[in-house]
Amino acid sequence: MMSPRLSYGLFFLLIVSFAGCGDDAGTQTGDSNTATVATETAGNAESTGTVSDSSAAEAGGPSTSERETASPDVDPVVFSKSTKETDAEFRDAYKKRLASGKLKLAKIPMRSDGPKSMDPVRGSTVYENQCASQLVETLLQYKYLKRPFEAEPLLLAEMPKSEDGITWHFKLKDGVFFHDDACFPGGKGRQLKSEDVFYSWKRIADTKGANSKVWWLIKDTIKGFDEFKATQEAAEKFDYDAPVEGMQVVSDKEFTVTLVAPMQSFLWKLCMFQTAIVAREAVEMYGERFGLRPIGTGPFVLKEGDWQQGQGIKFTRNVNYHECYFPDEHMKSDEADDLHTAAGKRVPQVDEVQVIFYKTDQPMWLQFKAGDLHYAQVPAENFKEAFSKRTKKLNRDMQKEGMKGFPVDMLDFIFRGFNMEDSVIGGYTEKNRLVRQAICAALDWDEQNEAFYNGINTVYDGVIPPGLEGYPAQGKSDKSYRGPDIERARQLLAKAGYPNGEGLPTIDYYTGRQQNGQEQSEMLSKQLKRIGINVQVHLLDFSQLIQKVDEKSAQFFSFAWSSDYPDGENNLALFYGPNEAPGANHFNYKNAEYDRLYEKVVAMPQSPERVAIYEQMQAMLFEDCPYAGSMARTRFYVVTPRMTNFKPTETFETWYKYIDLTD
Amino acid sequence: MWAYILRRLAYNVPVYLSILLLVMLALRVRDPVFGRLPKNATTADIAQKRVELGIDRPFHQQFGSQLKQVATATFDEISWDYPGQTVGEVMSRCIGPSLSITLPSLVLTTLFSITVALISAWFRGRALDKGLVFVAVLGMSVSFLVYIIFGQYYGAYKLNEWLGYDVFAIYYNPEVSNAGWGEFFTSVWPRYYLLPVLISVVVAMGYDTRFYRAVMVEESARDYIVTATAKGASQSRIMFIHMLKNAMIPIITRVVITIPFLITGSFLLESYFGIPGMGNQLIVAVESGDFPIVQSFTAVFAAVYIASNLLTDVLYALVDPRVRLS
Repeated sequence: MMSPRLSYGLFFLLIVSFAGCGDDAGTQTGDSNTATVATETAGNAESTGTVSDSSAAEAGGPSTSERETASPDVDPVVFSKSTKETDAEFRDAYKKRLASGKLKLAKIPMRSDGPKSMDPVRGSTVYENQCASQLVETLLQYKYLKRPFEAEPLLLAEMPKSEDGITWHFKLKDGVFFHDDACFPGGKGRQLKSEDVFYSWKRIADTKGANSKVWWLIKDTIKGFDEFKATQEAAEKFDYDAPVEGMQVVSDKEFTVTLVAPMQSFLWKLCMFQTAIVAREAVEMYGERFGLRPIGTGPFVLKEGDWQQGQGIKFTRNVNYHECYFPDEHMKSDEADDLHTAAGKRVPQVDEVQVIFYKTDQPMWLQFKAGDLHYAQVPAENFKEAFSKRTKKLNRDMQKEGMKGFPVDMLDFIFRGFNMEDSVIGGYTEKNRLVRQAICAALDWDEQNEAFYNGINTVYDGVIPPGLEGYPAQGKSDKSYRGPDIERARQLLAKAGYPNGEGLPTIDYYTGRQQNGQEQSEMLSKQLKRIGINVQVHLLDFSQLIQKVDEKSAQFFSFAWSSDYPDGENNLALFYGPNEAPGANHFNYKNAEYDRLYEKVVAMPQSPERVAIYEQMQAMLFEDCPYAGSMARTRFYVVTPRMTNFKPTETFETWYKYIDLTD
Repeated sequence: MWAYILRRLAYNVPVYLSILLLVMLALRVRDPVFGRLPKNATTADIAQKRVELGIDRPFHQQFGSQLKQVATATFDEISWDYPGQTVGEVMSRCIGPSLSITLPSLVLTTLFSITVALISAWFRGRALDKGLVFVAVLGMSVSFLVYIIFGQYYGAYKLNEWLGYDVFAIYYNPEVSNAGWGEFFTSVWPRYYLLPVLISVVVAMGYDTRFYRAVMVEESARDYIVTATAKGASQSRIMFIHMLKNAMIPIITRVVITIPFLITGSFLLESYFGIPGMGNQLIVAVESGDFPIVQSFTAVFAAVYIASNLLTDVLYALVDPRVRLS
């Protein structure tokens, strides 16, 4: 019944070849950048519609010591008493800056060659997410300051309502207009209406005409939508006006969506930029070139010639942006950064945002130090220049200059995967399971973390990254086989019938060629050699690595997954049987009981019972060992005193509108 | 001469076709589909992606399409990495920035190298010559990357800090891409391109000086130099009139053979300084397997390379009366 529910995870493959497992699965909140993680294909910008509760640790980091030590237990949510900035005040201030020629221009870096297309249905990378999210908007968005993450209405007047978890009622916000553009009569953007939502979602189903790359996101979700897709793709022309049973327009401002079955992740997906609402007129007018200049309702507009591909992009304030304010709700620790003082201000605060693309880190870091950028992600090689390796706090010199440092945890699951269909290390026999357990016990992730990441990443047990429900206390689980525990590894290997590795064939390990993939592979080989296991390393290009895994011919491989939304269910989907390769279950793990539990949690609202099932599922994975892991990256940001109202995050990208600049 | 040129062009047609063929075959050794699949791809997605990229067609059809583009110089195939943009658009926006570095670098490097080589050759075996050779070898021994990293750090970041104002930009400002010609030459080029050009000149000078010195040394031992010296010609006349003219063949060879590389730009310089040129674009396309870009770039490069070779031969005849094109 339940079809493959994929892993929506932002899957960026990885490439990094991390080896090793740490002996103490400490929860370090590291710093560092991800220079080593090679290819991110991810784009995550989602959040949960219902409240995400509890046990998650704060993921966005503070700059001061209070912030750095804050935890959910001591970092309560508080509300500012704010007065909403009036429309007149907001517009007058902008007019004054315009008249004086002193516009607020934020300059920010992007460590890549930027987006390739900003059409939401073609987006896949974090860079496309970050840029497109300024121009087009989703029905829901993440609360800017709230941790653990939570969703709130963006294009909606209120959170969607449902009594049975199947039929959802939506009400659009008033006063939301598309950007002014030649595609509209008179060049004036029209008001958003219900049909726009369904039109935009139907583009997701149009894998030919619209070249959608994100059907996996909404597949098996909305009643009649899969049938609609099949019918339209078989037809000569994709008919966007054809009805879908589960999409009903009530009025220009109201509509209902009926799901195939209750699905907790549905509202999270409404925060993902791929489901953003675009103007039909613009798509029809610009066709293939729509991705170069998407027309949506976002806080910024893209003027002609302001995207120099591969170099940079400049966003300009949308003067018709709908009424939207800096949030009242914040974490207590945010007060150390004065984030509470902006509550009630209309957004966007800045007039222009110039994003500069960097393919190498040195120029970005030099420009930041020269004052040409308002913040920077700290490159690995410059980490010690900005932060103390021991305390992970900003260096005194930087503090004197008024800089602020922010560690930002990422929703990462970096692992080594076993192909469960392999005859030597795959399968569910006791013998082969013991071999995998021995490998898990022999790998030292902490050594890897120290050697290649300044020790700033988080090494943990399980598949659910830090900050989410289901993450084990202190990152450690007594059921895990993660090492390094050489003695235990030797015993397990001997029990499998391979004492000191004798008789065990050489294992083929596949990893990405990028960055220091080779060096990390050498470390992995060394670690496994300690228990007598020989490894043959195969360094591959990204596409070759994927091909190898998708074709189920990689025996042992290095991959990573970055969550699409902050819910452990997203990561547990990686082991759901029907998602086997070329789906996201790269391990080809099949366990009927696991699948049954997964199908159960998909429909469950967040609750302690759901978390208990997460733990039960992870226990199965600990025992069967289809992977060896895990590690999550932490990025460190340094922010200049000129940039205010900035709380760095790696989980969503709608924050440009909240940042401000001081004189 | 025209008959010679036409004959040479005809000889090069099969060579050119072979290059196009080999490039297309080499690219297809690896299946590009797997790097371009959506998440949770199915086998149907794989098949559809193959159709979308046009690589489901028989190879001869793909080759035919490419030939047609090259023959008509349209390059209107859509880039796989840049939806909505043709290969021609991508190439045309990248060629200018690349030439803004490579062309001045070639001119300056050649002028400086020949001058230094002449001086070095004239003082052959003496302290000045040994000093110049030492510096040239030293320059050649240091990695290009080191010049770039240090050049950017000291030439832009530190220099600007010391002087208190920006002489050279650390990194390209995307907004200046829209500058007009006047603004480009008066403010954009000196600020954003000059430093990469200087780095490029310093890097290339070691190699070129050594080569040209060897050519000059060989020439300086010729009988006509002895004769000119005996007749009382001045040193400068001997060096710049007699010797330089006779050394032109190897100089032309070296300069003209460099011409095709002007359009390929420099990946390292471009990526460190953010210059939106061909080198950077080509590497990105190779890494991501953007077949349309790689195929068309190499087609243009091969064409320019063949043309340069032909130009070299023609120039030989112009500068050396002993050479006849027949």
